[in-house]
Amino acid sequence: MASISTTTNKPPVQKRGTFSKRFNATYFLQDNITGSRGQLIWVIILTILTLGVLVQQLGNAPSRAWIIFGIWAVGVIGTVVGELFTLHIGATRWLKENMFNNVTNVLVTLLLALLLGIVCSGLWRWGVVNATFSPELTHPDVRTFDGASWGVLWGARKLLLTGLLGPEHNSRVIGWTLTILALWLMSFIGTRDSTRETTAGTFIRRVANTGWILSPFISYIFLAGLDYEAPFVDFRTLIVGTAIVTAIMGILWFFKVIQLNPVSTAAWVLAWPLSYLLWRTIAYVSFNAEIFSPIDPDKWGGLLLTVIFAIFVNILSFPIGILLALGRRADVQGIPWWLLWPVAILLTAWGLYTSTFGNCIGTPSFLCENVNLWATSRNGIERVISLWPLLIPLATWSFLRSFNGNFLQAFSVLFIEIIRGVPLITLLFMAIIMAPFFLPEDSQGLSNFWAVIVGYTIFTSSYMAELVRGGLQAIPNGQYEAADALGINTLQKYRFIILPQALRILIPPLAGAVIGTFKSSSLVALVGMIDLVGSTKAIIANSQWLGLRTELYVFMFVLYFLVSSVVSWYSRRLEDQSGLGVR
Amino acid sequence: MAQTTVSPPGSGADIPPPEEQSIGSRVMSYIFDIRFLGVLGQIAFILLLLVGAQRIFSNFGSNVDKLGRAQFICRDGRFAYRCAYDFMDNEAGFDIDDTALDYVNTDSFWWALTNGIVNTFRVGLLALVATTFLGTTMGIARMSDNWLVSRLSLAYIEIIRNTPILVQLLLIYFSVILALPDIKEAVQPFNLPIFLSNRGLIMAWPQFMSSASIWIAFLVLGVIQFQVMWMFLSRREEKTGQESSKFTWGLAGFLIIAAIGWIVSTAVAENEGLLIPNSSRIDEVEDFEKLMLARAGINHLSELAELPQEELDAVTLNVCVLRESSSEANFVNRLASEGIPFKISRNGSPAKAMAKYRDGSCEMFAAPKSVLAAEIATLETPTDHLIVPVKERPLVWSIPRFEKFNIIGGLLLTPEYFALFLGLTIFYAGGLAEVVRAGILSVSKGQTEAARALGLSEGQRLNLIVLPQALRVIIPPLISTYLSLMKDTSLGVAVAFQEVYLVSQTLMNQSGRALQIMIVLMIIYLSISIFFSAILNWYNDRVVIVER
Repeated sequence: MASISTTTNKPPVQKRGTFSKRFNATYFLQDNITGSRGQLIWVIILTILTLGVLVQQLGNAPSRAWIIFGIWAVGVIGTVVGELFTLHIGATRWLKENMFNNVTNVLVTLLLALLLGIVCSGLWRWGVVNATFSPELTHPDVRTFDGASWGVLWGARKLLLTGLLGPEHNSRVIGWTLTILALWLMSFIGTRDSTRETTAGTFIRRVANTGWILSPFISYIFLAGLDYEAPFVDFRTLIVGTAIVTAIMGILWFFKVIQLNPVSTAAWVLAWPLSYLLWRTIAYVSFNAEIFSPIDPDKWGGLLLTVIFAIFVNILSFPIGILLALGRRADVQGIPWWLLWPVAILLTAWGLYTSTFGNCIGTPSFLCENVNLWATSRNGIERVISLWPLLIPLATWSFLRSFNGNFLQAFSVLFIEIIRGVPLITLLFMAIIMAPFFLPEDSQGLSNFWAVIVGYTIFTSSYMAELVRGGLQAIPNGQYEAADALGINTLQKYRFIILPQALRILIPPLAGAVIGTFKSSSLVALVGMIDLVGSTKAIIANSQWLGLRTELYVFMFVLYFLVSSVVSWYSRRLEDQSGLGVR
Repeated sequence: MAQTTVSPPGSGADIPPPEEQSIGSRVMSYIFDIRFLGVLGQIAFILLLLVGAQRIFSNFGSNVDKLGRAQFICRDGRFAYRCAYDFMDNEAGFDIDDTALDYVNTDSFWWALTNGIVNTFRVGLLALVATTFLGTTMGIARMSDNWLVSRLSLAYIEIIRNTPILVQLLLIYFSVILALPDIKEAVQPFNLPIFLSNRGLIMAWPQFMSSASIWIAFLVLGVIQFQVMWMFLSRREEKTGQESSKFTWGLAGFLIIAAIGWIVSTAVAENEGLLIPNSSRIDEVEDFEKLMLARAGINHLSELAELPQEELDAVTLNVCVLRESSSEANFVNRLASEGIPFKISRNGSPAKAMAKYRDGSCEMFAAPKSVLAAEIATLETPTDHLIVPVKERPLVWSIPRFEKFNIIGGLLLTPEYFALFLGLTIFYAGGLAEVVRAGILSVSKGQTEAARALGLSEGQRLNLIVLPQALRVIIPPLISTYLSLMKDTSLGVAVAFQEVYLVSQTLMNQSGRALQIMIVLMIIYLSISIFFSAILNWYNDRVVIVER
């Protein structure tokens, strides 16, 4: 541009309010409209679309459309004037930079504003203007059909919150909720930057951490209650438990993961007996005072059940996920081929013999029938099926080839991939419908709640495993090598070097997984559990709230959104505090 | 082993020669070798698993025995586990409303299951394509320099990703689609041939006629031509430096070949016919106009509009067709384009149509000639009737029309299908938007600036510089998004769309064989996931090779 070339470095300072010397109509057209054929066509289509919507809206909802159009027009004129006459104020500068920086954006802004207007006003009219809020106005006879009947939320609060749980247990649920909230609040306060270093902050944090460790037991007492059966102390449980805890201590000590002094040894050894006795005492007292009478888990429902599922499954699946991930990365000596092949060949021969000639010695009864299958088969397919033992050498071959005989790895990979390959709902269905087939005949069977917990945990843990594996892989190889060079063993390596780093990296994806588990727990409604979503069915079956689905779904939508947002906000805070990417 | 023999090279002089060891300590050194312990541990693990499996299977065996051996009865009445799947040949006995294949409730369980699988892919693949478009759009919109656009797509992404797909699906199905107006007041956006009502979405849809095979052959030829033209022109460009618009030439050639194919296939095709009585004195379809004029006693078809309703009803042609056949679309289009009033009666089978034709409730029957030739023989006096050829185009638009209380023609997406499709698309597009954004942001700014410095246009910058690098980041999570989407088609059970999961649940209820069907279901889903994993691995391998 000629005006600029006259000075050496600085562009000429323009007086405010004079016509911009930088504006050039040819360049403007080229930049915004006629730059290329595609751009031209795009601008034309956009113009037609915008005008179409504008005209339609001016006809349908004139006042709203005029207001939107007016604000838009004022914004555009302000921006254009500000740009051409160098009269920008803060607002027009912002508009120029963020909304009206070229012709396309000018049009898109109007179009989106109009569409947004349609959606928002529709929701506003349905949800607020035409809506009723009184629980008395939800009956089909008195209900308004133009808007929402929000009264159902208050009317059905019992079902939404706790499902079919008896009202006599309300106080316990409230007590539990308050406890958890108090713990959370304490953690929150204790980890704030301002209180983190103070004595009070440290104290609060200690109390909260102890509370969190005890929270599963506290929750259990509040929500499931305690059943007491004599004798007061079952010595077998006492001794076996103590032995297991002591053995774990011994192993950890042997591999130098923990160090022992007299006090900590005593703490480990006495941990089980003391907590067991405490537990029994609580049970005894509460049984006699009838405070925490047992509640059947299948009675839980509504939001309570959703929350229990989310917490339970996340807590259970994380350690399993870590184990699976470690298994998948395990680098142990594989089972040598000269051990596998003879066994495989023997098994194949024996299987072929039993499956075709019907000799059932030692076969589980359902795998074998005492007839010559080859002779009595109905068709070729059944003959092919009777050759199933040929799969054994095939499996052996691929096992040796893909995993070098490393069974730990093979097991973890197969487990993770198979579970990840099927939808959650099939697993839940399996757990509820199929589990009774696989349990001993004389057992009581799994209650639906526990069945779903098992199925859901299996599902989540294989996803967790992949997350953890990602975290482990993100640790640079040098860390592993350095740990090996220090001469420490595998357990120490993971405990002191790898996992602390990996878990910090894992905070964001783990938060995602926790949210995912919370959201997906709604699927249990599809296998007949009365969780938050499942309670809808019970609510709309009531003549008072017949067919008021939308209000309930919108409520759940908002609720899930709020909880998920809070969790993700919390995870970001945690991430900041752990100093990821800083340290 | 390792402990005794290792000696660093070059330092042999410092280390005393290995001592003779006693047998016992040698054995001990083998036993405490970590590799030996590892193998031993694995074998113990396998044995533990086998014992567990044995327990579970023996439980299963005894439970099944308790439930009765009816599950495993062969056709010859004997009991055998290999007959576990014999029941699948039995009659299914339940309806599947929305199928792509021919299915009636007397078909076998296998066929019902196949229909379920097809439905799964029908909704899954379409949602996959739509997700890709919507997700990419949203991901790019998120980075738009327009504040409103980027905020709106941010809101979309956050809201969608933080709420369960099930609730979204239920909202879409019960609160949006089923709340749409009745079919009589179907919404027609922008006056396009698209109708939205609580019976789903009905829209105009192209239908291939039997002669389309010829046209498609020409299209393939056109594509080959395009490639050859491209190659030829680029060689010439390399040799002589003479530039030419390769794309335009190739496209022009393609269009010409497609047009020739269209004309040829229209001229050659003679599959469609119309069965009418001789007495109507129609030899060609062009005679319809004359027939109408004679019937209504008017001089020009435009006068039809002035006729009173009763007279119009009287002159209206009654046409029998086969349900959802391409002959219908072809014939209807033809009559509609000539402005002849007609009524269509749809029939499930040629026999039903012929019955109506015989009793006079329809005057003519439009179907493929081969069908008509077979059916004309069943008439009492075949010579009184004749088959008139109907011209066909390789591709006809089946356009929805109002008829009484219904909309006929076009493609119908049932509310269930439509809801599942929308639910999957909207949910997974939210996740995909983040993937796309991450991918594009992963290309460093320097690349963009370098491309600008080279003077590349925005399009070239995107196509040649940014996309190839971004795709490497985008594709792996994209494929796992696809996989999750395919798995989540099982949510069709929430809106009663009969995909493979719901069908197999019905099968279980019908047959009482939970285990067998569950195994099949698992295999189906695992095959889908293996398919996607294979694509992913293939792509990753390819990218790795490109990288080096």
